[in-house]
Amino acid sequence: MDHSTADKGVSRRGFFQLTLGWLAAIFAACASAVGAVRFLVPNVLFEPSLLFKAGKPEDYPDGSVTFLEEERVFLVRQGNTFRCLSAICTHLGCTVNRTGQGYHCPCHGSLFDDQGSVKSGPAPRSLEWFSVTLSKDSRVLVDKSQRVNPDKYLVL
Amino acid sequence: MNAPLPKQIWKWFERTRVGRSIFRVGLPQSNLERAQAMVSSFLLHIQPAKVNRYSLRASYSLGLGLISLYLFLILIGTGVLLMFYYVPSTDHAYNVMKDLQFVVSAGLLMRNMHRWAAHLMVIFVLLHMCRVFYTGAYKRPREFNWVLGVGLFLLTLGLSFTGYLLPWDQLAFWAITVGTNIAAYAPYIGSNLKYLLLGGNVVGQEALIRFYALHVIVLPAVAGLMIAVHLWRVRKDGGLSRPDEPGDIVQQVALSQLPTSKTYGLMELARGTTPQVGRNPEDEVFAWPHLLFRELLLFLLVVAAVLFLAIFWNAPLEEPANAIHPPNPAKAPWYFLGLQELVSYSAFWGGVVVPGVLVMALVLLPYIDRKRKGVGRWFARERAVANTIFTVCLVILVVLTIIGSLFRGPNWSWQEPWKKAPAATEGH
Amino acid sequence: MADGSLRKFYGWFTVLGLLVGGLVVFGYYKDEDREWKDYQRKFVQEEIRRASTAQQRALAERMPVQIRQILLPDLNRVDRCTTCHLAVDDPSYGGYPQPLAYHPLHEQHPVERFGCTVCHRGQGRATTAADAHGNVPHWDEPMLPLRYIQASCGKCHESADNPGAPELARGQQVFEDSGCRGCHKLGDVGGVIGPELDKVGTRRSPEWLKNHFLAPATVTAGSAMPPQKFSEPDLEAVTLFMLSQTGETAPGYYASMKVIPSAREGQRLFQQKGCIGCHAVAGKGGTVGPALDDVGLRRSPEWMVQHFREPQAVSPGTVMPQFSFTEGEARALTEFLLHLREQKVESNLPSLMSPVERGREVFRKYGCAGCHGIDAKGGVPNPNAKTAELVPDLIRVAEGYTKDELKERILKGQREISALDPKRPPPPLYMPPWGGIINDAEADDLIAYLLSLKPGGEESGF
Repeated sequence: MDHSTADKGVSRRGFFQLTLGWLAAIFAACASAVGAVRFLVPNVLFEPSLLFKAGKPEDYPDGSVTFLEEERVFLVRQGNTFRCLSAICTHLGCTVNRTGQGYHCPCHGSLFDDQGSVKSGPAPRSLEWFSVTLSKDSRVLVDKSQRVNPDKYLVL
Repeated sequence: MNAPLPKQIWKWFERTRVGRSIFRVGLPQSNLERAQAMVSSFLLHIQPAKVNRYSLRASYSLGLGLISLYLFLILIGTGVLLMFYYVPSTDHAYNVMKDLQFVVSAGLLMRNMHRWAAHLMVIFVLLHMCRVFYTGAYKRPREFNWVLGVGLFLLTLGLSFTGYLLPWDQLAFWAITVGTNIAAYAPYIGSNLKYLLLGGNVVGQEALIRFYALHVIVLPAVAGLMIAVHLWRVRKDGGLSRPDEPGDIVQQVALSQLPTSKTYGLMELARGTTPQVGRNPEDEVFAWPHLLFRELLLFLLVVAAVLFLAIFWNAPLEEPANAIHPPNPAKAPWYFLGLQELVSYSAFWGGVVVPGVLVMALVLLPYIDRKRKGVGRWFARERAVANTIFTVCLVILVVLTIIGSLFRGPNWSWQEPWKKAPAATEGH
Repeated sequence: MADGSLRKFYGWFTVLGLLVGGLVVFGYYKDEDREWKDYQRKFVQEEIRRASTAQQRALAERMPVQIRQILLPDLNRVDRCTTCHLAVDDPSYGGYPQPLAYHPLHEQHPVERFGCTVCHRGQGRATTAADAHGNVPHWDEPMLPLRYIQASCGKCHESADNPGAPELARGQQVFEDSGCRGCHKLGDVGGVIGPELDKVGTRRSPEWLKNHFLAPATVTAGSAMPPQKFSEPDLEAVTLFMLSQTGETAPGYYASMKVIPSAREGQRLFQQKGCIGCHAVAGKGGTVGPALDDVGLRRSPEWMVQHFREPQAVSPGTVMPQFSFTEGEARALTEFLLHLREQKVESNLPSLMSPVERGREVFRKYGCAGCHGIDAKGGVPNPNAKTAELVPDLIRVAEGYTKDELKERILKGQREISALDPKRPPPPLYMPPWGGIINDAEADDLIAYLLSLKPGGEESGF
């Protein structure tokens, strides 16, 4: 590292300075890389929110299954319980239709029962249930980022 | 063992199988190996294996060319990252600027770094040009490298100008309106040039997307290529100029008659001019480590400076671009304000003739000034006339720029900045 | 001269390395340290404090600290106010100090649907209080002071008779009564001496507007507008009304709520749609359909609304056309009919008025009072005018003009006003030509009204 003719090696002070300098420079480079990656991670999304209000409980008659088009879910009311079922087929992502007592996917014919379980067809998994709660302003609050078991529902 | 810790870690790594597969040449132990590393490495081989001591002096070159290069690299780095958010649409661009400031992590920092590095690059490219002039380093054999440099200077201005429009705020919109109108004064080609630049007659969506394409790919690619040639020519023209340069520092060499070459590989056995060896007293040291370490230090300094500016000063953002509300006065970007001042005297003489003559003078300079005296020294006596002319032109340009930025108010009327009237009230 | 040794640089290397490392860390820290995070943490603390069950407490503790935004593509905006105003939709936070207060209008205007800036203005994309509230350089739309908030109701709701915006209604009343339209066009109706007012709410601040009413020449050099003598409440109201003129149109969903179902709104619609052509009220009107005086006693509100929506469905074979009323319009008309007995319908329906009454409406519609004074009594200054430096009153026009002369004067205007002192600047106010703006029928009615203005207010019996 030193001058070629009089190679006496690095002094202790020089050793310390070099080490510290390199460590600092490499640390700065790594911190910059981390910063650059953090920069690229979005803090807000410009998509429809996964957490949304679906109106007042009164808007959903007893025994109804209501398809919410933009959010692609079904809101199911029975008595005073509310549940939310994903309308996205687990096969390849088409939107399923409500039929009689179940759901049917028009793309490849998967059939799901009332609980979202697969009755027949190529779908590998049952439809997902999402968390339903009551918001602070008494609206039905659906959180598509929270998957729940079918036995969990909102009770008024 | 008195090698510093990082070096020990590195030496361990390069003995591993993975290390040996990546690095064909290990950390050099001897000077032969140091020279070999310079020549056989992809990233390093544009630099020489040995460099003259005189060229390493900070007081000689002030590292201005290197600083310009580093700023360019910082601009590419921050620019590419910003591209992940920026949308070149008149509906979205301004909102993206706001989002960068408010919701993107380090968004404002990234934008600030980009803006200040851009302004600094214009300044330092100009300073580098001044240094090369004042040390007579444009003379034979470096004439063409000087021409490349002038081209790079114009490219720098072009890059800054095209980038200036992208925030799509009032500052951007009107600066480009003024700038393209000045360009339109050029005879014959002027209005066509403006039409081509704007993709139409007005500064709108078409102009934005064209400026964006120019700014992110066309101009950087051309500039990158020219920088590569520029650095290559520095090598091939015998390194940085020095006072004790022999008159025939380079010579035509045929393949068959190569003298003792200082190269260690085939890549320097090229036909054409090549630096001579073995004919003059040598005062050279190995580039590794003497040049490389200094380059590293300078890089750290430049990064520190840009970071510092970016942390404490924000890039400006005015109201969204509004074609109906021109500010009074509407001003070009600062590096064109001298030009705008000249245009205010006479559109043709000031906007076309004077800048045109100046650029032509710069380009033809090394072919006009053929005296070989005074190369490699600052303000050499023998070059007093040339230096004086250059300095006068430079000072006039700086003064005009200062006038344009500080002393011109509404309708381009004279105003003293310390007595500035309150901004024209629009009821706010 | 470099001696070849790099030793002398090692110290620099350390310093610069640490400097760059330090700046990167500092820059990153400064970027992460955001004002809204503090507000969110305080909110979490408050939620934990108020939690009455372990489950609520756990929910509060798990609340993520992140930017919240409301996307409003129809309104072309993004509002991030809820990043700090975290309890706008939580009624249990009613009365809390800002930024944690519940929004009293959340039920009618849920924030998820409306955002905040469409009414409150400000800079929705910002995430600091100062920037978001908009009183910063280079942002043209600062937040409306809360006392002017009703100005925003006019953006979506058409009627100034919005029961939730009495100040706006008052402002419009003052505007019409004072005859501002005589010089200023608003919505295609008005004079040309002053600038159009359609977008004045976006271009001028509340302070500027107030000053402009009180002393126009101080804010607009060379203005011909005479200073207005408003009471303080009237001044605030008309300023608010001006602020509501933004020229913005509400898109789709928001426009469907334009009409608030009030009886007064219904009356306006009743006049506008010409229902009197087929249905009689107070003995006057058409006979194609039934008289409407007692319809409120004969039909239920639900029936009436349905009848407006689809006449054929409730009255098969009816010739009543399908009017395509919005829900709000149908309900407003129903309200009006239910209260028909209380409305002074005769005096308000143009086809039932006398020419003089109609003429008074024309006088009001085109803002003649702005120059000729309230009830045409004059008193408006016109500096250096030969007519006692005032715009002349119109009470005695019957004595000086025939009908035709008056009509000529109104339609052609009078550009040159004789000056008292030729050395002073000419009088700023003049009579603009109203031909092409006032139609023929309106002109005749206006003349009837003017000719009736003898002192004492005797009607001339035209």
